[in-house]
Amino acid sequence: MTRLSGGLIDRASTLNFTFNGTQYSGHPGDTLASALLANGVRLVGRSFKYHRPRGVFAAGSEEPNAMVELRSGARQEPNTRATVAELYDGLTARSQNHLGPLKHDLLAVNDLFAPFFAAGFYYKTFMWPKALWEKLYEPMIRKAAGLGRLSMLPDPDAYDRGYLHCDLMVIGAGAAGLTAALTAARAGAQVILVDEDFRLGGRLLAEATPFAEISATDWIAQVLAELENLPNVRVLPRTTVFGVYDHGVYGAVERVADHLPEPGDTVRQSLWRITARRTVLAAGATERHIPFANNDRPGILLAGAMQAYANRWAVSPVAKAGDPVAVFTNNDDGHRSALDMIRCGVPVLGVIDPREDAPRLGDYALYNGATVTGSRGRHGLREIEITQNGKASWHDVGALGVSGGWNPNIHLASHHRGRPVWDDQLLAFVPGQDGPPGLVPAGAAAGRGTTAQALASGMGAAQEALSDLGIKAAPVALPEAENAAQGQVAFWHVPGKRRAWVDLQNDVTVKDITLAHKENMRSVEHLKRWTTLGMATDQGKTANISAMAVMAELTGKTIPQTGTTIFRPPYTGVSLSVLGGGDTGAHFRPRRLTPTHHWAKAKGAQFIEVGQWMRAQYFPQPGETHWRESVDREAKAVRQSVGICDVTTLGKIDVQGADAGDFLNRIYANMMGTLAVGKTRYGLMLREDGFAYDDGTCARLGDDHYVVTTTTAQAGPVYRHMEFAHQCLWPDLDVQLISTTDAWAQIAVAGPRSRELLSRIVDDFDLSNDAFPFMACAELTVCSGLRARLFRISFSGELAYELAVPARYGHALMERLMEQGADLGVTPYGLEALGVLRIEKGHAAGAELNGQTTADMLGLGRMVSKKKDSIGALMSRREGLVGDSRRLVGLKPRDPNQKVTPGAHLFAQGAVQTMQTDEGWVTSACYSPNIESHIGLGYLEDGDTRLGEVITAANPLEGEETLLEVVSAHFVDPDGGRLRD
Amino acid sequence: MKWFPRILLTRMEGACVTDLKPITALGASSARVQSMGSLTLCETPDLAFASLALRRGQGVPTPFGLALPQAGGFVGQNGLGAFWTGSDQWMLCAEGRGDSDFAADVRAQAPGCSVTEQTDGWAAVDVTVADDAQMQTLLAKLVNLNPEFLSPGHATRTGLHHMTVFVVRPNTTQLRVIGMRSLADSLWHTLATTAKRLGVSSRPQAQSPN
Repeated sequence: MTRLSGGLIDRASTLNFTFNGTQYSGHPGDTLASALLANGVRLVGRSFKYHRPRGVFAAGSEEPNAMVELRSGARQEPNTRATVAELYDGLTARSQNHLGPLKHDLLAVNDLFAPFFAAGFYYKTFMWPKALWEKLYEPMIRKAAGLGRLSMLPDPDAYDRGYLHCDLMVIGAGAAGLTAALTAARAGAQVILVDEDFRLGGRLLAEATPFAEISATDWIAQVLAELENLPNVRVLPRTTVFGVYDHGVYGAVERVADHLPEPGDTVRQSLWRITARRTVLAAGATERHIPFANNDRPGILLAGAMQAYANRWAVSPVAKAGDPVAVFTNNDDGHRSALDMIRCGVPVLGVIDPREDAPRLGDYALYNGATVTGSRGRHGLREIEITQNGKASWHDVGALGVSGGWNPNIHLASHHRGRPVWDDQLLAFVPGQDGPPGLVPAGAAAGRGTTAQALASGMGAAQEALSDLGIKAAPVALPEAENAAQGQVAFWHVPGKRRAWVDLQNDVTVKDITLAHKENMRSVEHLKRWTTLGMATDQGKTANISAMAVMAELTGKTIPQTGTTIFRPPYTGVSLSVLGGGDTGAHFRPRRLTPTHHWAKAKGAQFIEVGQWMRAQYFPQPGETHWRESVDREAKAVRQSVGICDVTTLGKIDVQGADAGDFLNRIYANMMGTLAVGKTRYGLMLREDGFAYDDGTCARLGDDHYVVTTTTAQAGPVYRHMEFAHQCLWPDLDVQLISTTDAWAQIAVAGPRSRELLSRIVDDFDLSNDAFPFMACAELTVCSGLRARLFRISFSGELAYELAVPARYGHALMERLMEQGADLGVTPYGLEALGVLRIEKGHAAGAELNGQTTADMLGLGRMVSKKKDSIGALMSRREGLVGDSRRLVGLKPRDPNQKVTPGAHLFAQGAVQTMQTDEGWVTSACYSPNIESHIGLGYLEDGDTRLGEVITAANPLEGEETLLEVVSAHFVDPDGGRLRD
Repeated sequence: MKWFPRILLTRMEGACVTDLKPITALGASSARVQSMGSLTLCETPDLAFASLALRRGQGVPTPFGLALPQAGGFVGQNGLGAFWTGSDQWMLCAEGRGDSDFAADVRAQAPGCSVTEQTDGWAAVDVTVADDAQMQTLLAKLVNLNPEFLSPGHATRTGLHHMTVFVVRPNTTQLRVIGMRSLADSLWHTLATTAKRLGVSSRPQAQSPN
């Protein structure tokens, strides 16, 4: 064990966990990384390309190395950073990216072939033969390189989403964030404080004495106690703000139960959409390292991380207790890390600093003007080579902390394409002025990195943000805090011939960058893509600036001249499950059920999705073994006796107002204002561009009251279209619109015996042909007093009606019709039979109204009235549309047993089948039990003049060709006599 | 004002006299009620709806004595309520009249207006909670609205889990979610799932003291 005394862990209880099958223990407050280090486990994974041994490098979400497969079974989660995984009892984790045991990874052989795996390796190597790429090269590369494995099982956990609104959101709960939140909270603003850590305090938790007179934990506890007691504050720990979106909307993921073995009744994670009027970005800073030869061994880590492990988790990141550590730094903070290690009782070999005038801040050996030039230790650091005044010497160390300065966490500030600005004093990019509106950076994220600066800037940022909102926030008392000078020198890497890693996650070395430069990949964007630098899960948080510095050195430019890195969401990886927001399976999306759904279900109906609707597809009866048997029976019943079908899904729009008729004249291509009260008319709507939009019926129930019906698919769009026309095109018209689709259960009663059936349920209503002819409509009562609407319209081509009752009665009405029609052979029919009937009758549906169809093509050209203007009328007369000679025709195979394939293209018999000779296509097809043949509808060039001609329907995808006879689209009752009887 | 639903599909005066038996939006003969800890969900089939829109140039009526509210507002008294749904448009609702021709009553109360029966266009679920704090937690999981727009006496149309709904806040502890009737099943699923998580299990506690 390498546990030290102190720390923010609860030693009173012990948590057991396994890593690669070995049992270890830790304490509440530990991360997996701190617990592994406390157990002396330094080797935690293998690198991406070369399979080099790797250890914990950081102490936060920027970790490039220590990624594990956490949990097992369906919950196995690859690429989990051990540095942010909270330890729980029973945790299991495995290391990634090795073949055989972690210590003896067979793929470590890759490291010997490193010269071949240089920058752009994939692009240069697997060029030939092309055919092998998909089958051999790619699978091989994926196996050898790459990170964790997926469980390939469905995620068993629940996720949800939520929405929060506030005056001020504070991102990050370190010194700056806590002060900002406190300042705003006391001013009465609605405040949300978010931090990705499970323990709030940020960098204060990692330092021994940030305040002069109070311990960091006491100060944090005081602030949090006050915040948690204020009703206007919401604190969200374990929550990462991953992106800034338009209008002050921030995406955040709360890891609600990631720290528990299983979530139980709660969700695993929540996706929050936070709408913040103003935001303080107090996300802190990420330390950078200094590449030197073989700087990637386990035991070499960021100096600030080493300090954090010692102070917060009471761990020295060495192999065994008592091993000395050293610090390699170009700045004063590195020295302070060394001081904290000494304070924690860890022997310090010394501080290696390239500055000749490096300060000595305490009692340790100082190697000034010196660098670390090498390291040894097969599975973990054993020795470092220090070169001072040209002399190299090897020294035993258990760990080396490296500090190359700090990069403000400007990620969120550079969403919305905010450009960071280079600060020559800080030697870092700081947030620019053009970042997301309303976002104010503070503390280390703004380059104000001492504790005193962070406190003051947090308070100032909150005051500034709130003053924009007209809220005056008073200053809060700040504790006296560390404000030491931040001396540093621009020292980006230790030059040398051996490999020095810049990006540990992607195995990119200084040499790779040099090679990319030689190969003319000089833009940082090209550099990134050629070398893969800054890609994958850590997005180069510890690598990008060092890489740019190396590139700048090679090009002889300054860093800002070389380029800037900006960032896109997400800040850290976000699981697809939480982005999905929860429901899977049946409730993946909302489902609309018809008023007779439960009735149909009880009747054994098969259902089919139609948009959001679930519609009965057919009703299998005992003995029917194939869906066609059911559908044929249903379709025949309608032609021979009577069938009933729920057609509620067709859109219904109530149109009222003094100008309703005028309005409908403008919406429909045909004349609608002349419709008599008590009558229904077929109507065609065109789009603005003149193509057919939707068809349906319009019934006039009163002088200024119409009901428009639409197709199922276009119910919403047509209503929206009408609202648009009403509100934006003709606001002067006195028209009121409202959808009534759901309000009325509408049942089609179709077939020669439909009148007889209906007569048994209507209350004193004359259904005779004279009193209620084809296309009549009426309001009436049925079943002893139930208000209803009756329309004599027909989609099937038979004598037919549609009866509407309040939706709650739809179920009972179906039962009543079945009961009353038993002796008439009443048959419920589903969507399939409905389709068969309308194809037999030649009625257009969605497949014919596909947005490419003109009224002429439908044979409805004369419906586009020239006596009035309507939407799309003028455009329908333009040359391109008028010239389209394709017409809707019926298609019947020469051999009735041959199928007609929808989508097949039509050609003259014997013609070469090319785009140029294409004469149209099959839109719909079915087997017609009434014709006893397969039949279809389609658009064919000059189709109306080609009846009787035999043409070829070609389906080259399946190698099918069928000879079809061109016939009338009205296979059944072409004169329409049945409708009118 | 008592704004609680009756649980059964009771026959009211003026109710429809048909011999057909209605079903609720969730497909049963009586309203579904489900309690989850301090949260209760209740289907409200007895609630009647009718839309009211002004004709051009018409003055605002006061049907049933209700002062029709401004944008975002809800008013209710004696089991009758109204909320704003658009420019010169409101939805009127009435307790215990789901089975009657409520639109006819509204038409009589607001002569000359365009009135449309909407009772079965919608399915309303009443969610009752313990207190305002729980309501805020619930709202945050359901709708992307600043809570101030849903304080008592407010109503608005918004999206909820890919559905379009009206949310009405008659009082501190009650939220009425009104969705399309055909989506009642999905709406109930969403509300019940959310309520269950809030009502039964409290948020897991952090392991480490802070």
